[in-house]
Amino acid sequence: MIVDNNEDLQTGFWLSEWAFPIFTAFLAAGVFAGTHMYYVYHIGAFNEIAIVAMLEAGLKGGSFGAAAAFGASFLFARILEGPLVGILDIGGSIMTGVGIGIPAIFLSMGITGPLESFPLALLTGAVIGLAIGCIIIIIRKYTVASNESTFGADVMMGAGNASGRYLGPMIVIAAAMASIPVGIGATIGAAVFYAWKKPIAGGAIIGAMILGALFPIMTK
Amino acid sequence: MDFIEILMKSVIIGACMGFAVGAGAARMFHAPQAQGMGAFRTLGELNACEGDPIAHFSFGLGFLFNSWASIVGTGAFTQDVVHRIIPNWSAAVLLMRNKNIAETLHNPAKMALTGAVIGAVVIGLMNSTAVAIPPALQLIATKVLVPAANWLINLVMPIVFWMAALDAGRRTGVWGTILGGLSHLVMGNAVPGIVLGILIGKGVDDGGWNHITRILVVAVVLLFVLSGFFREFDIKLLTEFYVDVPDGLKAFHALFKAGA
Repeated sequence: MIVDNNEDLQTGFWLSEWAFPIFTAFLAAGVFAGTHMYYVYHIGAFNEIAIVAMLEAGLKGGSFGAAAAFGASFLFARILEGPLVGILDIGGSIMTGVGIGIPAIFLSMGITGPLESFPLALLTGAVIGLAIGCIIIIIRKYTVASNESTFGADVMMGAGNASGRYLGPMIVIAAAMASIPVGIGATIGAAVFYAWKKPIAGGAIIGAMILGALFPIMTK
Repeated sequence: MDFIEILMKSVIIGACMGFAVGAGAARMFHAPQAQGMGAFRTLGELNACEGDPIAHFSFGLGFLFNSWASIVGTGAFTQDVVHRIIPNWSAAVLLMRNKNIAETLHNPAKMALTGAVIGAVVIGLMNSTAVAIPPALQLIATKVLVPAANWLINLVMPIVFWMAALDAGRRTGVWGTILGGLSHLVMGNAVPGIVLGILIGKGVDDGGWNHITRILVVAVVLLFVLSGFFREFDIKLLTEFYVDVPDGLKAFHALFKAGA
């Protein structure tokens, strides 16, 4: 797409109100299709390990309840907050809400089509994103910012981040229970990542995988 | 061939997302006149790099390795790809040629188009390398990550969310506790109930009992009733209280089972 650069930015398409739903549609299409990738190939979900794990629990035969309620309530809170502050938080709204919550709702109802087919995933995501963008613009237009509540999004975000921190130590514990080499690898990896000021979950996984590749877990 | 298919899909996904993230990030600099999208921390980090292309690039790179480890090990990208790598690398590419941030980083058109290219390359590369890992390593990932994830979901998250609800005030504490306990009974996990409890409690704290919070409560009640019914919670409840399940109720459940 070639854009005429002479166009005045302040009044042009790129900063206009009605362009916003188009951007949310593109983003939601990509994120929802990312969840399709995870559903089909088990890679490419656009979220933190802890949040994707909620969806995984449902896919492994458990309940989609946690993922659905967590994602949907985040989406709800962020849609209300976005127009009030002028910046839509795409982590809570699109990546968690559209990428985890809505797929979990679909799957809990037995609707698998949008997650099995790539074109359908893009389309579903785009329609949801368009709707979200339109709702936000409508809220922006027709409400005098009377509702100051963020509906506890800050509390949930804090708890979400806090529980994510627990994952690192738990990976080391699980690795230590899997086998001795894998446990040693995870411990060293976690320590090195901590020293580098990176999240220790990543280091624990890499360490476990390196040692596990050299000394595979014995299967009795 | 799976590999080509994954690569092509990833490039399309990356281009869509990069386009939107680039435009949304540039629009953040024009908020609140224009509705932006991204995150406050992204805005802060973009500002912190002060329009220096090297700073933007290395900031994104730092998160790339972490995301890469995550996608190879677990299949989850982490949110950093969207919040940090795509916006910062798009900014770096644009700033290399023109140091004026008003014409580059703050310009949604340029950020969108650059973002689309960066997104396609980054997502394509990361997904196609993630799928190429040998199955022996995937066994490790499942042996280690599945138990860790299960502990997280079944114990740590309920506890952390519960504590957060209790610390957020009396109303969220009460709602969170009641809905959390109910939710573990009905849905098998307390987190959804606690989250809804925080939502209701905070909504009422901040705005009182207005129509939004009332609709919220009705929706929550509906959610519990419906999921309880479809999980046959009512039948279990009666059985465990030593009450005979009426035949009418059994017949009503059978009606829905036949359809499924």
